[in-house]
Amino acid sequence: MAQQRLSLWNAEEDIEGDVDLSIAMGTYDQTVQYEESVHMHQPQIDESTLIAMQQHIAQQAAFSQIPDVVKSFIVHFHQAVLENNLAEITVAYESGWNKYTEKFYAKTEWPEAELIAPLVNDDPIFLILYRELYYRHVYSRLQPNIDDRFHSYENSCELFNYLLNSDGPVELELPEQWLWDIIDEFIYQYQVFCTWRSKVTTKTPDELMMLADGGPVWSSYSVLNVLYSLMQKSKINEYMVAQREGKSAEEIAEIVGEYGQRPLYRMLGYFSIVGLLRVHVHLGDFTLGLKVMESVELNQKSPFTRVTACHVATYYYVGFCYIMLRRYPDAIRTFVTILNFIMRMRQYHTRSYQYDQISKTADRMYALFAMCHALSPSRLDDNIANIAKERYGEQYTKMARGGSDALAAFEELFVYACPKFIIANPPPYDDPGAINALISAAAEEDESAGSAAVDATQRHLELFLADVAAQLPVPTLRSFLKLYTSLDAKKLANFLDADEEELVQEMMVLKQASRSISRVPGTEGTSLLEGQTITTSDLNFVIDENMVHIAESTIGRRYAGWFIKNTERTQKILDDLKSMPLPAPSKAAALAVAGASAGDNAGQSRPARTGAKVAWGGGVKAA
Amino acid sequence: MTSEWLVPSTRSELIENLVSGVDRYNPSNVSILEDYLYHQIRSEEYDCLANLAILKLYQFNPDLYNPDVVINILIKALTASPMPDFNLCVSLLDERPINSQLDEPDPLPSILPILKGLHALLFRCRFPAFWEIYNSEALALLRDNYTVEVAGFENAVRAVAIRAVRATFTSISSKRLSSYLNLSGAELAAYFQKLGWTVDASTLAVTIPPNPDNQIEATVVQESVKLPQLVKIISHAVAKA
Repeated sequence: MAQQRLSLWNAEEDIEGDVDLSIAMGTYDQTVQYEESVHMHQPQIDESTLIAMQQHIAQQAAFSQIPDVVKSFIVHFHQAVLENNLAEITVAYESGWNKYTEKFYAKTEWPEAELIAPLVNDDPIFLILYRELYYRHVYSRLQPNIDDRFHSYENSCELFNYLLNSDGPVELELPEQWLWDIIDEFIYQYQVFCTWRSKVTTKTPDELMMLADGGPVWSSYSVLNVLYSLMQKSKINEYMVAQREGKSAEEIAEIVGEYGQRPLYRMLGYFSIVGLLRVHVHLGDFTLGLKVMESVELNQKSPFTRVTACHVATYYYVGFCYIMLRRYPDAIRTFVTILNFIMRMRQYHTRSYQYDQISKTADRMYALFAMCHALSPSRLDDNIANIAKERYGEQYTKMARGGSDALAAFEELFVYACPKFIIANPPPYDDPGAINALISAAAEEDESAGSAAVDATQRHLELFLADVAAQLPVPTLRSFLKLYTSLDAKKLANFLDADEEELVQEMMVLKQASRSISRVPGTEGTSLLEGQTITTSDLNFVIDENMVHIAESTIGRRYAGWFIKNTERTQKILDDLKSMPLPAPSKAAALAVAGASAGDNAGQSRPARTGAKVAWGGGVKAA
Repeated sequence: MTSEWLVPSTRSELIENLVSGVDRYNPSNVSILEDYLYHQIRSEEYDCLANLAILKLYQFNPDLYNPDVVINILIKALTASPMPDFNLCVSLLDERPINSQLDEPDPLPSILPILKGLHALLFRCRFPAFWEIYNSEALALLRDNYTVEVAGFENAVRAVAIRAVRATFTSISSKRLSSYLNLSGAELAAYFQKLGWTVDASTLAVTIPPNPDNQIEATVVQESVKLPQLVKIISHAVAKA
């Protein structure tokens, strides 16, 4: 420890003298340098002055403010990346970085990349990766300013440029989790930039100027370009098709080429597909979102599910697309699958740094599930349904009942659980006249109304609520029909105090609401958009002129599972009992047992006799 | 079932490549897709995904925006009810700032609410109300400038009503059906004939041929125990015997 501290002091002094001393960190000749420096200083000053001087220098140089442990962490981290040591990189990435963030940088930025550059030999690749982490920390813990937003974009471009436009595939290896986080963060920053950009009223003159000259910074085209390039470079779609067709490893290697063979590119390619799904959802394109997932097989067995955050995000966005496509049964199935998965994984993941994020997404999926369940009741999974009803009980009751209260409950849950929606294009910052008109118009209206992102969410909410509103009378109609096997439409209209013709039209809506496009078993491996019309309700009806005939399908109670479970349990208890050694009873215990059983016998026989007497006595009385 | 929607049989290879490849983002392809839209309008074809690709290009390139194309896309999507096509199209219409580039005032802001209203009526199966509003004086602009160009628009609306009726009724009075289709007399009779539906001469009730949606049956789904569920118990019993 002492050695290390001294060598760092040396480094500080040398940086002032503009000498690259990163070598001091990498090579281990620290003692030599220590001796040298001591030798140099000793003749003039005593030890306490020396320490004072050291401290003085330390306060002056920004570099010295970096805690020693952080410096050595960065050096280690760099070393691990240089050696492509996945295990060490993972430790540094998942635990080291977060540990030092908590300890030193909970409220401030990490040291600038330029500052730590000497520690890592000015390694440009490591510095790009370092900046990736640096900006991610700024976005998640602090408030990014416009420079951060622009620079994080530039850094992402440098990273992707390095990956995509080097001579052949790069040698770099990174943990899967990090690769996912790179893609995820890239899209997240794009999304927050678009949201921030669309609020014209809160911009300073400087920001307005920078936005006017911003050009392609965080443009939708540039983001899509990165994701599509990664997909194409890695030939990920071809890879997944070949996998499904059961091709051999050699054949697959040939198909995917030199890029696709490397885990780094393959994973980035896969994550880019999920990233595209997410971007399309942000932009309100739900069909295209599912279409890009065409070659992805949604199941729990795929190796791509190893990154839990990605797995969960995939299902969230797929489920949401299905809701907007009015395919509620598919949405329900999607949410049930992943919510069960999260429940099983919970025990392993509570300590993961991403657990918070995952459980927040899970909460939103329970809300979405509750909405779908109210719109299209099903018995797919009682367990998930019960949790959803527990968490959103009040809203669920209103939604399932239909009528006027329901809309507010749907709105509340939709706004809470929907993804962030963005506007693809910036306000006309490059046209000062137009932007000033927009600012003054927004200022006149209301401060908060100037946000176009609110409008984007509002637009999707409005569409969804229009669908829901059409279905509001459905629960009431269903509950009436359940009481009859046939009923005249006129009579039903009277019950509901409705116009007969309107009621008949409502009945067509009811029929419509009991049908849905859905994926069917046996179509695995086809596009997520494929499907057939299925019946979603157990209540069916038909109108013969004006007479409504009703038929209800019921599902008999299920006993088998209960009996099988308990039979197995009993068998086990019996086995356990049989394999237990018989206790050697002491004399007293044996006596007590004998006494107790005798007592039991007596106890049993006595009430039996009285019982008989009473019954007989009763009989006499009655006679 | 959805395959015809995903890849209509009338879609050419050129369009298929645009819809399914990355070329869909290339602004210079917009005219090909717009031409295809007008082809759909003239020849009663429909290709939702190709039309969504146009809206996607407009979303990313506001200078391409052509309100007439958007309105035509929405009119085509209207009659896909109860499928969500109309909403999917509206989802892609970003809020746009006051557009000074257009020579004429943008007709979309005034027409969009009208189309949304018509869509709501179709989705809620309010067919008589649809016809009343569609033929009202207030919508003359929409009819004269747009739907008149869309070949078979009214028949496409009728097809929406027919889909709903076919699923819900085994027989329906001519009067009621006439109000759904906005047809009467000889026109109505001709329409029935085209569908192959028969009208009872005395009751004037129209019989709807049986189909999977208008046949009902009360069923009780009974539990069936599969052998694998019992494997543990049986093997245990055998092992202990």
